[in-house]
Order: sequence, then structure tokens, then C-alpha cells
Amino acid sequence: MIHLAYQDIRHTLSKFLVTAMGVGMLLGIVLIMIGVYRGMVDDARILLNDIQADLWIVQQDTLGPFAESSRLHQDTQDTLKSLDGIDKAAALTFQNLQLYNRQQQAIRVLAVGYDPAGDFQPVSPERLIQGRALRAQHYEMVVTDKTGFQLGEQIALGRDTYSVVGVTRGTVSSSGDPLIYISLKDAQNVQFSYSNPRIRSDRARGIGGQQTQLVNTVVATLRPGYTPVAVASEIETWKHFTTYTQSEQATILSRNVIERSSKQIGLFTAILVLVSGIIIGLIIYTMTLEKIKEISIMKLIGIPNRLVIKMIVQETLLLGAIAFVFGNFFAHLIYSQFPKRVVLLWNDSLALFSVILAASFLASLVGVYKVMKADPATAIGG
Amino acid sequence: METGGIRVNNLHKTFGQGENAVHVIQGASFEVKPGELAALIAPSGAGKSTLLMMIGCVLDPSSGEIWLGDTQVYQNRWLEKDTRTLRREKIGFIFQAHYLIPFLNVLDNVRLLPLANQEPLPQVEARARELLGYLGLEEKLHAMPSDLSGGQNQRVAIARALATRPQIILADEPTAALDIERAHSVVQLLRQIAKEQRVAIIMVTHDERLLSYCDKILKIVAGKVDTLPPPETTETFI
Repeated sequence: MIHLAYQDIRHTLSKFLVTAMGVGMLLGIVLIMIGVYRGMVDDARILLNDIQADLWIVQQDTLGPFAESSRLHQDTQDTLKSLDGIDKAAALTFQNLQLYNRQQQAIRVLAVGYDPAGDFQPVSPERLIQGRALRAQHYEMVVTDKTGFQLGEQIALGRDTYSVVGVTRGTVSSSGDPLIYISLKDAQNVQFSYSNPRIRSDRARGIGGQQTQLVNTVVATLRPGYTPVAVASEIETWKHFTTYTQSEQATILSRNVIERSSKQIGLFTAILVLVSGIIIGLIIYTMTLEKIKEISIMKLIGIPNRLVIKMIVQETLLLGAIAFVFGNFFAHLIYSQFPKRVVLLWNDSLALFSVILAASFLASLVGVYKVMKADPATAIGG
Repeated sequence: METGGIRVNNLHKTFGQGENAVHVIQGASFEVKPGELAALIAPSGAGKSTLLMMIGCVLDPSSGEIWLGDTQVYQNRWLEKDTRTLRREKIGFIFQAHYLIPFLNVLDNVRLLPLANQEPLPQVEARARELLGYLGLEEKLHAMPSDLSGGQNQRVAIARALATRPQIILADEPTAALDIERAHSVVQLLRQIAKEQRVAIIMVTHDERLLSYCDKILKIVAGKVDTLPPPETTETFI
């Protein structure tokens, strides 16, 4: 049998391809949006996964440093180390800062403060692409490549100047800000030290000396044979802290911190998929209308409906398939240009492909309806 | 004994009901035998297209009888369930414009209908090539309709109409889009086809200069069909 869809597409190949490319670009945007969502979820867990703690101990009745302000005394880490079941413990600080590059452009970052000689090393060796992690207790900094700072560069922060000793790749906070790493002491100075005029003002008001031995959280790992839930319960009996397991902290990040943003992007993505389906439907409708005279002739001379319908459905599905391939190509071509991380997964692509195939099939029903309604009598009488 | 052709008895078609009823065809009866070329003539609006659509099994008559060859296909209702199959197997159509499928080449346009009829490919191929050779298009088998002249396209349309060996060909003003020279050539060809292929052809035309090629004239007068002999010379029939 003559393959009507193939012959029709071959006859108007360039028009068909341009249409498929247009739809493909739309699908590419959908893929990017899904990638932004995935990137957001992944970004939220980078720090969590790099730190690899069993327990997160935070200020009582708070959700911890990623969701709320949390302050603990630094010596909490020593107290925890003496607790049965705790293997390692370390104090950490997290603080949003604004740095300036050589062109005096502001760069917003999240500074992670940790003890370079402590039990936890948040700088993942896999992510370190240049230099080394922190060694000294002062004035060293590890930066993410997205900040644009180079190895050895001097950066002004607070009252001091820091040297970049290491560069990481792919380390960002849950809000997408690049991470920098500084020592715990430096971080405490930046976060908790007041300026000299403020200190003088406090003294004049009779307010005592400043307290800088504070941290935002203490993380801990457990000895073999101890479960996080049991040890967390033990810590909470002191009534001074709230303790989260690693999975609870992950849940806080995904539910409390990025939930609204991810829902917004998810909704936007769903609308885009819907719009794509409608556009494919309109294109098929127009493509069918353009052929309605030929379809009337085919029906008049006796060509069975199934052959004409097969042609419409095949063309629609092929349009969807080519658009999908082009959309993937387009998305992979441009995704690295986006300022926030975009994670393109084949699983998402395949899921979108299924959705687009279904949308294309539904869209072809519009064309099929036109075929069924086409009146063969219109071919007679001019 | 030769079978084929078309016979119509007391065919009626009424549009609307009651006071608004319009009786377009009122008891049309005629016969066109295999090998005959008949011209269907009438002023505009007299019911040519309506009659053509009814005998082409596209439009339901109100009453009457239609026979295609020895088979009665209509007696106050269609006697065959699937009129589209009837059209595909027994009737060939030629239109004012060629109405070829623009995305199929000449050969595929002619092969399409018999292949849809599930006829074996080698036979379809041979028949299509034979018809296109017969119509002088053997050099144009793989050309697209857009690459052919109006006359060539109309000949492809004729080949398509003949491809399923129909009992009757209905030609709706096949020369309307052609100049007079090509129009004469096409009607001569239709006459030749009718004789050589033993098929009945009914051709709607407004051009009285072409009537002398026909074997009979079917003239619609007040909803009925008068069967007249062809003119020996050009004279006004319409």
C-alpha cells in the first residue's frame, strides 16, 4: 500500500520540519523547566550530602539553619562527643554574604564555617577541582567556580582579606547561591563580631562583652550499633536542643525551604505541557484543514476512512516524535547558559515523551474529527 | 452478454419539507450502456450536480431505482450497506479540476484506489502503467501533479478513474478548466475510452460544441431527464 503520511511529509518536508522544530523548541523549554526543578531539589541537598552527618543538633524548637535562625554554643560539640553513641561531632555556621569581585560586582554567596582541624570536612574531595581544602584557622577561603574567583585571589571580607586556596565545582545552597568555605573562627568573627563603634556603644549602655563562641548547628555521626532516632531522643531529653536525622533535615529542606518554589515551577511546567498539547492540536487541525479538499476527494472516490485517519495519526505522532528529539537537542544545547543549575534527566525526557505522544494522539483526534466530517459531495459541482 | 452501464428509473430528490420543499429531480429515468458517452446538460441550478451525486452514490435520493450493470443498488434505499465501497469498486470520478492528490506522483495517484481495494500489487502496477501509456503519459510516471500541464493532469485523473475497471465514469465538467482545443481532445479521449474500455461515461458539460462527440444527450427539463440524440452539427441545446 502507498504510505500516505510518508508521501505527504516528503512533499512538504521543509514545512513539516520547521513546524516540528517550533514545537520542539517549546518542548525544550518544558525540559529546561523540569531541569530547573530538578536542579533546585538537587541543589538543596548538595550541602547535606557533602556533610554526611547522622544527626543535626539545632537550637530548641527551630527547624535548623536552612529554614530558621538557629544558635548554639560552640562547646555543645564537646558535650555531645561525651554522649554514648556519638562518634564524631563538629560545629558549623552558615551565613549569607555579599562579596565583590575585581570589577566591584556583588556576588551573593552562602559561607560555610567549619573547623579545618575538626571531625567534619564539608569540602567534598570529589568537588574540589583546584587547590586544596582549608588548613589554616584564619584568612583562607575555598570558593565555588561559579563565583568567578580564581585560585590565589585575595578577597576582602569583613575587616580582613582572605586568600582563595581551593576551587570547587557544583556546590550551591538550597537557594542556588554559590558556596564558599571559611574557617569556623573566621565565620564567627564575620557573623557575630560587632564593629568597633557598636562595641563602644554597647559598653556605654552597660551591655557586656560580645559573645562570639556561637554556631548555627552541630552535626554528629554515630558509632556502629546506634540508631539516629534513639540517639536523637536521648539528646532531646536534655530539653535544650532539637535534633534532626539526616533524612528529617532533607525533608525540611524539600518541604519547608524549596516547596513553594518547586510547586511554582511544577505548576508552570504543567501549564507549559498543556499549552504544548494545545499548540500541537492547533497545528494538526490546520494541517488537516489544508488538506480538506483532498480528503473530500479521497472520500468521494472511495478511499476508506481508515487510510485517511491513519495518515493523520501517523503524521501527528511523527511530528511529536521529531519535536521531542529536537526539543532534547535544544535543551541540551542551552541548559548550561542558565544561571541556576539545570538537571536534565533521561527519565524526565522519556516521561515527557509519553506525555507528548499522548497529547499528539489526542491532537490527532481533532484532525480525525475533521476527516469524519468532511463531505465528499463538496468535491462535485466546483 | 455484456454487463455494466447504468439504469435509472423514476428517481426523485426533494430538499426540505412541506411548504419549503424543493423538488429538484422529479422522476428522472434514463440508461447509459457500456461503451456509450452521454452528456448531461441543463441550465445552472437545474439539478445536474444533484443527479450526478445521486447516481454517484454520494447523495441519498428521495425515491426511485438505480442499477449499476445487473446490480440494483438503490430501491427507495441503498441496497448495499457501504456506498463508499460501491463507489470505489464500480464508479470512476473525473472532476472540473483534476483533483489529483498533490503529494502523490502520477503512478501513485493511479495506483491508490485499486490498492485500497486490496487488489494485488503486480496487477495494479501493470494496469496503472498500461493506462498511463494508453493516455500518453508513460514518460511522466514519477512526475508530481504540480509539474504537469492542466491537460496532462486531467489525463492522469482519467487514468485514475479507469484504474479500478469501473462500470460507469461520472465526469463533472471535465473540460471546464481547459481551453477549447484541449477540451475537444479530452472529450475525444473520453469517447475513445468509452468504446475501447467498454465503460459508460456520463459527462456534465455546459459547452454545446462538445455534444457532437456524445452518443446521447441527457437533458434535465423541469426535474425530469429527456434522452436526446446528439446533434449532427453545433446547435443550441442548453
